[in-house]
Amino acid sequence: MTEQTTLKVTVRELAALMKQTAGVAVDPAELERGVDSGFDAFGLDSLGLLGIVGELEKRYGLALPEDAEKCKSPADFLKMVNGSLAAGV
Amino acid sequence: MTAGEKRRAVVTGIGVVAPTGVGVEAYWKATAEGVTALGPITREGCGHFPMRVAGEVRGFDPQAMVEDTFLVQTDRFSHFAMAAAQMALADARLGRGDLTDPFSVGVVTAAGSGGGEFGQRELQKLWANGPKHVGPYQSIAWFYAASTGQISIRGGFKGPCGVVASDEAGGLDALAHGDREVRRGTDTLVVGAAEAPLAPYSMACQLGYAELSRESEPDRAYRPFTPSACGFVPAEGGAVLLLEEAGTARARGADLRATVAGHAATFTGASQWEKSREGLAHAIEGALAQAGCRPGDVDVVFADALGTPEADRAEALALADALGPHARRVPVTAPKTGTGRAYCGSAVLDAAAAVLAMEHGLVPPTPNVFDVCHDLDLVAGRARPAELRTALVLSRGLMGSNSALVLRHGATGSDE
Repeated sequence: MTEQTTLKVTVRELAALMKQTAGVAVDPAELERGVDSGFDAFGLDSLGLLGIVGELEKRYGLALPEDAEKCKSPADFLKMVNGSLAAGV
Repeated sequence: MTAGEKRRAVVTGIGVVAPTGVGVEAYWKATAEGVTALGPITREGCGHFPMRVAGEVRGFDPQAMVEDTFLVQTDRFSHFAMAAAQMALADARLGRGDLTDPFSVGVVTAAGSGGGEFGQRELQKLWANGPKHVGPYQSIAWFYAASTGQISIRGGFKGPCGVVASDEAGGLDALAHGDREVRRGTDTLVVGAAEAPLAPYSMACQLGYAELSRESEPDRAYRPFTPSACGFVPAEGGAVLLLEEAGTARARGADLRATVAGHAATFTGASQWEKSREGLAHAIEGALAQAGCRPGDVDVVFADALGTPEADRAEALALADALGPHARRVPVTAPKTGTGRAYCGSAVLDAAAAVLAMEHGLVPPTPNVFDVCHDLDLVAGRARPAELRTALVLSRGLMGSNSALVLRHGATGSDE
């Protein structure tokens, strides 16, 4: 259970994933500020988010919920991802 | 434009990504000088194929031409198309400020090969590491329609969009489709084709083409209309033309460079080159009829020039059938012997070369072709100055499509 904290995906990591998988360059501080706005505000579309879902599933060896790529905002997405990680797969 | 005047499409901009040059100036300079870019195939993983020579695009930096967000989700063929589209818009001096209505701009591309390199990479991940390692952009990047979609998304163009999948001749058919969209009411069409078939999977797909040259000496590998014709050399690249409704283009002060005056297409079956004679002749006659041109009006022919004895003979005879005695007098050229055949991309490159030839009053030569064995006035060696008002561009595909396109210099249309 102590692993919960180490398994947490941060806003900074999400910004890096957006760049790596979708080519969307976003400053982590800016993503932090706009964490409740839509992914589209940063230029990330649903296929881009699907790529991030795939990358996280590979990285943590778990299956995220089926509608993970339908999250509208970074905050919703991180909550869902970190909730899944915390649930311990 | 007055109420009674017909809508027609004029070329106002050209963007080129060719083995002989990136950008319209570099391309035309090389084309007019008869420069050849054919060389050994150097792309990774392509060394063991029986095809030894190709026209590779060098000096193209995708990152300098296309944003990262598009690069990660697209194949090289779409990089070429997006870059060429951007260059065509810039060449036409059509900026975002001119495009106040996104629904007035459409996009049409043709593709014969699709995103083979991207697709291969993702399929290798699938079989090496498993399904979770395949990225989501595999769903769109390989697809023939990818370039049309990405050009429209990138530019915010919301007018009629289309993709022509009709063999190599699709490059000309796309221009005709763009012309029809202009006539039907859309003011601006971004039209072209680009291909990137020089990657292992795509090369393997071409192995069955008996018409591919196996010659390893670049200067001998693609010599249509000569006794040493031994097939064609594949290439990558392509071109995009900006078509605008003549009245709209004139109103914004654009340069009305050429008119898409006529087009016709026929089909005569895969690799049945003897039959392409009749099909190509019909296409030429149809295109001239739509353009309101007589055979004698044709000032230059950009030949398909497939490069096998049977196909070359069929093309020469088709010209004789359709143009009569004029077929022996009209200058014929095939600048694609310097670039190779970039499938659909070649037909649009030829259309671009035709517009530039009319503007410069110069018929570009056919590199590496000297000893012509057909009853044609093939322009070999060096470019030939000539007053050019009407150009006939021909294209045939390996699967049996034949197309002819008539371009006229400036804004002269059939009803003027």
